[in-house]
Amino acid sequence: MAHLLQYVLNGLANGSMYALVALGIVVIYRGTNHLNFAQGEMALLATAGAWWINDKGVPLAAAILLAAAIAFIGGGVIEFGLIRPAGRKSPFAVVVVTIGLFQGLNSFTSLLFPKVGNGVKFGTLFPNKPADFFRLPGGAIWRYERIGVLVTVLVITGLLFALFQKTKVGLAMRMVANNPESAKLAGVPTNRILMMSWGLSAAIGAIGGALIGGINANINVSTMFGVFLLASAAATLGGLDSPLGAVVGGLSLGVIESLVSNYPKNWVASTYIGADTAIAVAFLIILVVLLVRPSGLFGSSRVERV
Amino acid sequence: MSVLLEVTDLVAGYGAVQVLRGLDLSVNEGEVSVILGANGAGKTTTMRAISGMIQRNGAVRFGGEDITHTSPNDIVKLGIAQVPQGRGTFTDLSVSDNMRAGAYVRKGGAAQADLDEWYEIFPRLQERRDQKAGSLSGGEQQMLAIARAMMSRPKLLLCDEPSLGLAPIITQELFAILGRLNAERGLSILVVEQNANLAVKIAHSVFVLETGSIVASGTAEDIAKDDSVRKAYLGY
Ligand SMILES: Nc1ncnc2c1ncn2[C@@H]1O[C@H](COP(=O)(O)OP(=O)(O)O)[C@@H](O)[C@H]1O
Ligand SMILES: [Mg+2]
Repeated sequence: MAHLLQYVLNGLANGSMYALVALGIVVIYRGTNHLNFAQGEMALLATAGAWWINDKGVPLAAAILLAAAIAFIGGGVIEFGLIRPAGRKSPFAVVVVTIGLFQGLNSFTSLLFPKVGNGVKFGTLFPNKPADFFRLPGGAIWRYERIGVLVTVLVITGLLFALFQKTKVGLAMRMVANNPESAKLAGVPTNRILMMSWGLSAAIGAIGGALIGGINANINVSTMFGVFLLASAAATLGGLDSPLGAVVGGLSLGVIESLVSNYPKNWVASTYIGADTAIAVAFLIILVVLLVRPSGLFGSSRVERV
Repeated sequence: MSVLLEVTDLVAGYGAVQVLRGLDLSVNEGEVSVILGANGAGKTTTMRAISGMIQRNGAVRFGGEDITHTSPNDIVKLGIAQVPQGRGTFTDLSVSDNMRAGAYVRKGGAAQADLDEWYEIFPRLQERRDQKAGSLSGGEQQMLAIARAMMSRPKLLLCDEPSLGLAPIITQELFAILGRLNAERGLSILVVEQNANLAVKIAHSVFVLETGSIVASGTAEDIAKDDSVRKAYLGY
């Protein structure tokens, strides 16, 4: 039992990272119906920025918030300058642009922060000395840092929920996501709302990237590749347009990954099941879920209008 | 009687496709104007051009103000609300959020008093206020679309084929409501219809649209006297 609980707790920490990046994917997907392939690299650039600001002597928490604020503006600029013009051509052009951004932002990060190109140490917001953990009944340990990451994800999800459900901007975002034409007819400046969605997504990515850096104690130019893959899988599992789905999807994938890569070793001592197998199993599960529920766990299956 | 909406020589279309070729129409303050036209005549295009949803040339004046180059959101703020063809329901949003959506341009959002008022007029909407709007029947969605548009407190309501896909009895109810909104509140309405006996009954002026321009116009009685128009659009 101790093992099982331990693997679940470890999985929840990784899953929190997938969940945050998946949240960013969902915020954009809701608005535009596009999968933003550059989500991970937007987070990388912002995290590199946070590292640089922190390196200049600003406390880490302030550096991350500042980077998130700059990312918010950067996300808006990307929407305005690249995505919107591409969208006027064709939906496919947008996909091509986000794939180009994926490559471009990665190179740009190395160019702007050459040290990040080779990997730099990244601090953490949470206590992570060797003794900073709870011991749970049964012997599993829950490190404060992992608790901190999970709580951060849940708080951000709560804030997003409040934004969408309780504010006028949130209502406008839901209107644009559901029916852009009607949103426009109701007087919503839809372009401005899309810009804000991209900004919001980039800011969430910045915080996600910083948490990933904290858990790995390092960031480098390939940090986000694997994370993005799992995050987009998590978003798909959750339903692509549901923030709650992104979080549930992300956390489940983290736990599945952790269980699959650790557990069977206890049964079959000679068999090594590595992280790659874990990812394969995770994707298999997603495939099965999507076969049963094509719109994902929490996705809205669009009601056809009469 | 002062003119509220005056459209002169309106030219609009989609990219290279020109649909409206110099269209003139008007809606007087406190009156109902009806546009009759066959499928593909350009009725929806006219409505979208008035709301600023597509590129347009010519002149659109509203309350004496030139709105030819005004953005859709500013046009809503000036007091033109549109119920689009197909009802434009926010299907994933609850009924009450659809109502709040309609009040988007109002400072501070939807006033509870307005919500209560429209729920009183449309009790079905109140019963279903927490339900996803996409689950409503066609008739309920049409009522919601009107209530939603009214939440912005418009001076002019544009209705694009509101009877499309509705049972005759619901259509009658619908036009009774539009007639009341006009008679009791002095709301000006521009409504587009294909088969339009009911629409013409509440209309003060009628415009007949064929391939992008107005080919006949006048009071409802004038139009009913015109044999070819009567046969083509009123079906008797
Ligand atoms: N988005 C569009 N792109 C190109 N042509 C369009 C578009 N929408 C409508 N049209 C064309 O414009 C003409 C008028 O359409 P519309 O205004 O929808 O007519 P109505 O509402 O009277 O049925 C039709 O020939 C139609 O094919
Ligand atoms: Mg039409």
